[in-house]
Amino acid sequence: MKTLYKYLTLIVVLAVCGIIAYFYFAPSRSRVTLHDATIKEVKDMARLCTVEIYEEVPVRGHVGQRHLVAREVLVGNISFDLEGLAMDSSSDTIRVTLPREIVEIRESTEPGSYTVIDNWNDSFMGDANITTAEENKMKQLTLDSFVKAVYAKGYVKRARAEAVANLTSLLSSMTGKPVVVTDPSPEGYQGK
Amino acid sequence: MGLSGCYLCSKITITKNMKILKTFTFLLALTFGLVSCQDDRQARLYSEVRSVNKLQLSRMTVSKLATIDDLKLGEAENMKQALEALGDAMKVGKRVAAYSYDTYLTAYVDMSELSPEDVQVDEKARTITLNLPAIRTEYSGRDLGINEVHYRVTGLRSEIDPRERAGIKEMMNTALKKEVEEKPFFRDRLVSSAKAKAQTFFPALLGGGEEGYTVIVNFKE
Repeated sequence: MKTLYKYLTLIVVLAVCGIIAYFYFAPSRSRVTLHDATIKEVKDMARLCTVEIYEEVPVRGHVGQRHLVAREVLVGNISFDLEGLAMDSSSDTIRVTLPREIVEIRESTEPGSYTVIDNWNDSFMGDANITTAEENKMKQLTLDSFVKAVYAKGYVKRARAEAVANLTSLLSSMTGKPVVVTDPSPEGYQGK
Repeated sequence: MGLSGCYLCSKITITKNMKILKTFTFLLALTFGLVSCQDDRQARLYSEVRSVNKLQLSRMTVSKLATIDDLKLGEAENMKQALEALGDAMKVGKRVAAYSYDTYLTAYVDMSELSPEDVQVDEKARTITLNLPAIRTEYSGRDLGINEVHYRVTGLRSEIDPRERAGIKEMMNTALKKEVEEKPFFRDRLVSSAKAKAQTFFPALLGGGEEGYTVIVNFKE
């Protein structure tokens, strides 16, 4: 009788372990459905990119008593539109004016480029949820602040100086003529 | 003899235990030491700025959509999924949402690879032949925010919070990159657009003026 109970107990334990193992290893189905990517737009351009930026920034914001702290990786570049570049080739020397810079900053496509670190409500048992619109606004504010920092840190100044050098080299090698590239605003056109 | 033998045995046992303890302590210290030496990027924010010389010729905007909904019993492929679907059916309320965002791919020519030999001027034929470096493509980022196409959470269901949205965006990003790699259509379209742009841009930039040179644009493989 004791042996029977032992065997029964063993069978029950094995059955329970088997069920647990099944539910642990059996593939689950995600509640998220991913649809095929679609091409929204293909735009041609002619932009000379001279500086690339990669930076991790904190995203911090609050709406009332609801707070959000996240880490975001931003990538960007500073480029110059060469379409319609005004070239004065009336003399032996080609004269070109460097156009306004284009500062483009986006979120990186590397894995883990946006990580929520914490999200809480100051009041006890309060709802901590931040809506999509509120989160997007926090990210936009972070972006605006980052663009200002790009100018303040001298990245734009560096990009414009590099563009002058690169454009001079490019045009002189292609035309065989001396080229002078002038920069009317070496610090950039922020807010202008 | 018996007592000294006993003493010797206990001494050996104590020595053995001390060795085990020392080995364990060493391994523990090594583990903590290795953990503390891991990449300190986790503790500080990373920043990098670099100079490049890229001529961007084309940009593609790719949109990705993801939807969230409860599991349906008819779609269950095993017992576990069937139980999960039943669980969802018993919950009070609905939880349905759709999110989308755009990712950008850029086709460019690395002008730092252009050498003087790649520009050939024929004065007699009045032609300029450019042998440009091969066109490359790269991801140039994605939208910071996420577009909430649809949102309906009712009853006692939990709201979709920032962490869940970040996880969904990560899934969408991984799937999109895999799709772009597996379907050459995306890059082919981008590269052909870039090549077509180069064929019009360089003649417009170099071919005008009184000399009236004809510009021929070729690409290296």
